[in-house]
Amino acid sequence: MSRIFNSMRDGVGFDLILVGAALLFLLALAGLPLVYNVLMSFQQVDMFTLGTLIRPWAGFTNYVDVVRQPEFWLVAKNTLIFVFASMAGQFVIGFSLALFFAQKFPGAATIRGLFLVSWVMPGLVVGAIWSWILAGDFGVLNTILKSLGIIQETVFWKSDPNYSIWAVVIANIWLGTAFNMLLLAVGLAAIPRDLYEAAELDGANAFQRFWTITLPMMRSTIGAVLSLGLIGTLQQFDLFPAITEGGPANTSSVAGYWSWQMSFQLYDFAKGATISVMMFLLVLFASVIYVRSTRHEVRG
Amino acid sequence: MSAQIELSNIDKHYGAFHALKGVSLSIEKGSFVALVGPSGCGKSTLLRSIAGLETITSGSLKIAGETMTGVPPRKRDVAMVFQSYALYPHMTVEENLTYSLRLHGVSKAEAKLKAAEVAATTGLSALLKRYPRELSGGQRQRVAMGRAIIRNPKAFLFDEPLSNLDAALRVHMRKEIRALHDRLGATSVYVTHDQIEAMTMADHVVVMRDGVIEQQGSPLELYDRPVSKFVAGFIGSPAMNFVPGTVGADGQSVQLDISDSLSLPLGRKVDAGRKVLVGLRPEHLLVAEAASLRLPVAVVESTGSMTYVTTDTTPELTVVETRRMGVKAGDVIGVSIAPEHIHLFDMATEKAI
Repeated sequence: MSRIFNSMRDGVGFDLILVGAALLFLLALAGLPLVYNVLMSFQQVDMFTLGTLIRPWAGFTNYVDVVRQPEFWLVAKNTLIFVFASMAGQFVIGFSLALFFAQKFPGAATIRGLFLVSWVMPGLVVGAIWSWILAGDFGVLNTILKSLGIIQETVFWKSDPNYSIWAVVIANIWLGTAFNMLLLAVGLAAIPRDLYEAAELDGANAFQRFWTITLPMMRSTIGAVLSLGLIGTLQQFDLFPAITEGGPANTSSVAGYWSWQMSFQLYDFAKGATISVMMFLLVLFASVIYVRSTRHEVRG
Repeated sequence: MSAQIELSNIDKHYGAFHALKGVSLSIEKGSFVALVGPSGCGKSTLLRSIAGLETITSGSLKIAGETMTGVPPRKRDVAMVFQSYALYPHMTVEENLTYSLRLHGVSKAEAKLKAAEVAATTGLSALLKRYPRELSGGQRQRVAMGRAIIRNPKAFLFDEPLSNLDAALRVHMRKEIRALHDRLGATSVYVTHDQIEAMTMADHVVVMRDGVIEQQGSPLELYDRPVSKFVAGFIGSPAMNFVPGTVGADGQSVQLDISDSLSLPLGRKVDAGRKVLVGLRPEHLLVAEAASLRLPVAVVESTGSMTYVTTDTTPELTVVETRRMGVKAGDVIGVSIAPEHIHLFDMATEKAI
């Protein structure tokens, strides 16, 4: 008895307790909901069976139904636009800023720190701010674009079906750029200075140094940033209720928001779960890339 | 012979810090020049200025006759071997070697051929497909050398390339670098804080201190005729002994403060009665029974080939003997020195007299 107690205090038992606690936490708060969600996507769920675990089996009916929804392809297209435009914008602007602040000039570190303001702000607040900026009749963006002569007519960013998804993309780029910049700046800082000096003496100009030293040395960081960007963008929810509510006519709705609407506005929990399982597969794919890219560290 | 690298009146300021103060140096084509000095003396800054990695505040710098002001490092056609080697970790040995060739548009086949050639000279042939992380310290060092050689540059710059190697390998690489230099007929500038490296490898040694060149010349010139106490103490191992003394009334001899009875003949004339610092190299002090300078022994250390005797005096003296001696602590030994081996330095300026 005392041997077991001793091992729990200082030995294998203690290790097992630590691992067990973490595993239990994961199982209870991530594993079970996930399994329940997948299970629900294969069941018929209505208001009367909501409280039970075992419900009539539906097979792939829910999946077929979701794909047959009239808005499915629109939402799929929007999701693709939202994910790739947001990621591209966040990455390109984030990388440019990271490179910019990697130059040594007075205040570089401080100003870079200030950029993180956008990242620490709650999505709903960011959404509200951008909602005002993007407003058609009194928004500051329109005013600026008009005074610069870029547009003549007022653009109704949030209510024009051609622009509504881009309204959310712009806000999301602003929200995620700082996080990209931060991770990429860390990656840049980890590249030894003398590699650049050696490359410079070997005859590489600034562009060649970027292409042959910076990019390959940043491979794992870039992989991580892009995967995290994909995950973060697919998870993005706050901006939608704050800016467009998915409208008009679903032209700015994406999978995550649609899933929430299905479950909690239309109370079609089965379809909501089905959509989220579809998304989960996508995120899983990104996670695999992320894990693989962090494993392939190429540091001397 | 023409000057391959010509520095005149180079100044370098880092903010308020004056790193190089009016440095002028002419490096002959085909010579091996060592820049040596304690850390912070400006030797690395000088080397990096030649490479163009540091911009000089004022003065002129010419490589092969061309003024290098405002010329970026990549257009200077010099190759550098870094202390950290700075190998590209994401490239194989072959890619590391051919990087500069590829940048200059040399065809793949030709670059491969060149890499094989250089690998053969540096003993890397079997390692071409490896990554730097899979190499030992000595092998990485060779890759760094190979990367410099392959370009056939106007000058090789070495920034303490051996300081990350273990002692045995360092001695070996010393010879190898020098042999490579001779074979290529290259012009090399070699920065080191290790005077042995400087003495053994270089044709011309430049001793730096606090941003100025203290003395330059052939290794033996520096050893035989140091211009100051600093150079005298820096060159030679074990370091020169310094003892305060007074020049005798005849101006032909010097009296050491540690032994009040005796004066050493100088073989030249110096101001009589002048207070001086006497420099005596440990290897020039000969232990002789009949010698008149008698010193008590504090410590005896023997390496087998050498015996190091430390005397019980203030300041203490080190004597090196190659002969076996039955001396132990507490004994008194007689020591003699030839007049031409006595160095005198001014007490205040520490310049040689």
